[in-house]
Amino acid sequence: MRSNPAAFQLLTPGSLAAVVHLLADEPGEWTPMAGGTDLMVQYAAGKLPARNLVNICNLPELRGIETTPGEIRIGAGCTYTEIANHPTIRSEFPLLRHAAHWTGGIANQNRGTIGGNIVNASPAADSLPALLVYEAELILVSVRGERRLPYENFHTGYKKTLLAPDELIRDVCLSRPGVQSFSYARKVGARNAQAISKVCMAAMGCMNGGVIEDVRIALGSVAPIPLRLKQTEHSLRGQAIGPELLLETKKSVAAEIRPIDDIRSSARYRSTVAGNLVVEFLTRLSAEPSKAARVCSAVLLEWNRMRADEAADSILPCCGSRAWAQRMAAMRPFEAESALLAAARDIWVNLERSDWLEAFRAHPRIGESRNSSLAQANPYPATPQSVKWSADEQRDVANAELAVRTALANANREYESRFERVFIVCATGKSASEMLEILRRRLQNDPETEWLEAAEQQRQITEIRLRKWLEG
Amino acid sequence: MDRFPHVAKIQIPFIVNGKNVTVQAYPMERLLDVLRKQLQLTGTKEGCGEGECGSCSVLMDGILVNSCLVPALQASGCHVLTIEGLASQGKFHILQEAFQEFGGAQCGICTPGMILAAVHLLERKSEPTMDEIREALSGNLCRCTGYSQIVEAVAEAARRRCKTA
Repeated sequence: MRSNPAAFQLLTPGSLAAVVHLLADEPGEWTPMAGGTDLMVQYAAGKLPARNLVNICNLPELRGIETTPGEIRIGAGCTYTEIANHPTIRSEFPLLRHAAHWTGGIANQNRGTIGGNIVNASPAADSLPALLVYEAELILVSVRGERRLPYENFHTGYKKTLLAPDELIRDVCLSRPGVQSFSYARKVGARNAQAISKVCMAAMGCMNGGVIEDVRIALGSVAPIPLRLKQTEHSLRGQAIGPELLLETKKSVAAEIRPIDDIRSSARYRSTVAGNLVVEFLTRLSAEPSKAARVCSAVLLEWNRMRADEAADSILPCCGSRAWAQRMAAMRPFEAESALLAAARDIWVNLERSDWLEAFRAHPRIGESRNSSLAQANPYPATPQSVKWSADEQRDVANAELAVRTALANANREYESRFERVFIVCATGKSASEMLEILRRRLQNDPETEWLEAAEQQRQITEIRLRKWLEG
Repeated sequence: MDRFPHVAKIQIPFIVNGKNVTVQAYPMERLLDVLRKQLQLTGTKEGCGEGECGSCSVLMDGILVNSCLVPALQASGCHVLTIEGLASQGKFHILQEAFQEFGGAQCGICTPGMILAAVHLLERKSEPTMDEIREALSGNLCRCTGYSQIVEAVAEAARRRCKTA
């Protein structure tokens, strides 16, 4: 039976202060409504118990995602589309990004908010296991002030929460990880899009020395509330992942969850699938390298967070082409160092020759200090860091015999008059005489071959410098 | 007992397909009903009425929404685009043309929503992949199961749009 619109009030107080006053003046009388993706469904079905609704859609105080060095604060009124597209969430909170992407179809992601998903408190909500795994905290506001509490305590029973009748969720706070752990999320539903989960999982963990060092697992649709599997986690820590452990884990998961039969699935199916999902996660986790080997360096995490122009300046010493540095900055965030190195290569080989030339110009001649009179008169686009690296790379040349250095200087001049640019060679690990030999050989190259050979040398230099840069 | 047994209708001004309109409506009336019953814009269809099927899709300030889940009050001051606002000067929109050519419509109930979901996609991605098209339309159900022709139509419209741009 459809609701009669004349029986429902909907007001727009316009500010957070006005909303919390309304909630305080008549506690329990008013129900906040943001995107309406849950409340309007109940309303259409004639099942909305609330008669008085307060419109908090587009309330400025609930919008926006704020990033500080330690945490990210997501306004409770942020939509799933905004969450899924946010660069910091994409790079550092992949479980939340996946969940945001799974919640309803595009139109519902455009309207549904994270605060609404939490307050609606459905045990099947897709984003809530991710919030449990990230150990989110909520900031609740009322006329009495604000309080901050761990999200894991928020749900007290089926559709019951700690939210007082005069309170509103203002922010969802997540601590930013120092280290990128392995994370895995999966939703099992009747179809991928727009389906309410039969079971969904968010999990994160890391291995160290062949055993599970840390692990967090949360499931949706298997209990009256979104559930963190603390007992199972406890029994997994310190264990090596093998067939016996996986079997034990299935039993532990089954003991910890409380699934029910309903229109979407059966308790038995949910229990089996929940065990399988956790085992799937652990199997993948066991294939992950140890924590030490997959650290996303502090430098990379920090760089991912910089403004684009700062990020380009920061990486420019690795390769002196501004176009390269800008494109690298534009491709952020990078989840792993391997992805950064691969992108560095791809961008470099696709640059224009003028960009290659700019990168070449950032290098001093082999055997020549940056502080020579020529460098002073004709400053290269070098940075203090690249000058220092160049000196390190050419260490062997500085200590070479005078005859070799003179020969290098002559060959350099010959190269520059033939190809009209500085000779580029990846000097790391090469002696002065080796480089002299290479230089003489390359003087015989035709111009096209020499372009490609020089570019390949610059690529090697860039890769070595990126590795140093990542170490900080 | 209801505190507001009879809430008053209010004036809600907004812009539909480029025209300023002001409707008298209850704040909780669905945008879908306002469009269909008051403004006679019956191109927007009602399917499930609970945000699952996408038949009632419209763009609100450029964002794809299910108009069955939008209370009229929340449309106040917004630009709403319905299927009726897509053709200009008697000429089909490039997506409408492609749907017609590729047989992207059978019974037609899902078509306005499909096309608006596709408009929303092409505004964001001018050269979408087939997967991106399928994902963009995943909230729009077709019960005649003509998905292949629909996806083909969107892909072709994207190609033509890039060519003419």
